[in-house]
Amino acid sequence: MPDVSRETFTLPDAMPLREALRGLRFFLRRGGETIVETLNVDALPKPASNIAGAVLREAGEVARSVDELTSGMAKSVLGGLSSTTTPLQLLIGKPNAAAEFSGAVYVSLSAVLRHLGAPTVLISEAAARATYVKLAAPAMDAAVEIRAAALTLGLLGARVLRGTTAQQAALVPGGALEAVSIFAVMLWLQSARSEDENETALVAASDMAVALAPEIAQAVSQNDADRIAALYRKYVPHV
Amino acid sequence: MSEIKVGSAALPPTNEPLRVAVRRLRWFKVAFQGFVEATGRDLGCAFDIDDAKLAAAFMRWLNAIEMQKPSDKSQRKNFFEFAAALMLRELTTDMPVMAKGPATLADPGSAAAFWPEGYCLTMFCLSVHTAAMAQEFHAQTIVDPAIDDLRHWWSFKENSMHDAGFSAGFLQMLLGNQPNWIMPDVFRARIQSDLEAK
Repeated sequence: MPDVSRETFTLPDAMPLREALRGLRFFLRRGGETIVETLNVDALPKPASNIAGAVLREAGEVARSVDELTSGMAKSVLGGLSSTTTPLQLLIGKPNAAAEFSGAVYVSLSAVLRHLGAPTVLISEAAARATYVKLAAPAMDAAVEIRAAALTLGLLGARVLRGTTAQQAALVPGGALEAVSIFAVMLWLQSARSEDENETALVAASDMAVALAPEIAQAVSQNDADRIAALYRKYVPHV
Repeated sequence: MSEIKVGSAALPPTNEPLRVAVRRLRWFKVAFQGFVEATGRDLGCAFDIDDAKLAAAFMRWLNAIEMQKPSDKSQRKNFFEFAAALMLRELTTDMPVMAKGPATLADPGSAAAFWPEGYCLTMFCLSVHTAAMAQEFHAQTIVDPAIDDLRHWWSFKENSMHDAGFSAGFLQMLLGNQPNWIMPDVFRARIQSDLEAK
């Protein structure tokens, strides 16, 4: 019988399952919102309004239960993600860089979207990881802001954010939410910061991105990586 | 010399030189929030802060500094002072603070009671300037007695609403300089005025 204690046991990558659970949670949350926004139960004649109301309440309870279950599983069973204080320049050389990058993008994008008033947008950690693998490693010799600009356009192209069209953020002009929030995360990721400053730096990067929204939107619409890199070069020291 | 105390001691700590920290939004925002909160307590009126307006003012200030920064190193100290004037210009352009009520603890005839928001922004800029000048040049900032004259504050409020550039002149005046009132927010114009005065 083999000695189990001496066997090397590698944990499976939990990211795909985490991604699936988040997708399910998003579907339930957004689906519920859509039904409530679409159906005007009070306008129905009785007893139809009573029946419809009861069905919606029941469906809402089921959705909430599944939502709590998926949230709980994603966090406790699969392990929660943590933010990073490693600047992008140093992160790129690390052995587990793709996973750390995509985890940091997920956590920080969630925080930025909450700050911008758009909390129920779906963020794809898998798309962020694939973008990193495709773009960051091959460009090892390029300046960090050039890599960051390529990653910014890559993250947008890979649709790391989904469902933004259904939710307009209060702080960002229409249509610029994806570009502004991803720019904010990449700006923050390049800044030097301690663990104590990590959160305030992310909020500062978000506020700066909102102030730069017209310039960011223009550079992104023209696929202008040089312009995005120039914005990073100019503003990273001021986060 | 004015009896008004500039509250640079209330600024948050930083491991970086203040001239660097103040150009980081994370520090600037914490400093601004803390200062506004403390001023509100002193005046007996709380302030609301608009973060988006504050960030926009900060970004414009960075750009203004970059555009006007002189290449002549001998002007460094003068430009430090001018940077504070530009900061007040950008803050009064957007007014990121709003008093929730009258300044109940302020002397009824004081600038703070007359215009709490303008007073708060001006004192913030003076505080940052005082701390930065002490750290960089070991220089003590002396505020002009004009700060106690309500007529200057009335003029500041009226004129800055039409042209925020006036705010830059107002702060230079409080720091004991004679601003170029035609272009109070242009550093080169100030140098020219100084040369002509000599």
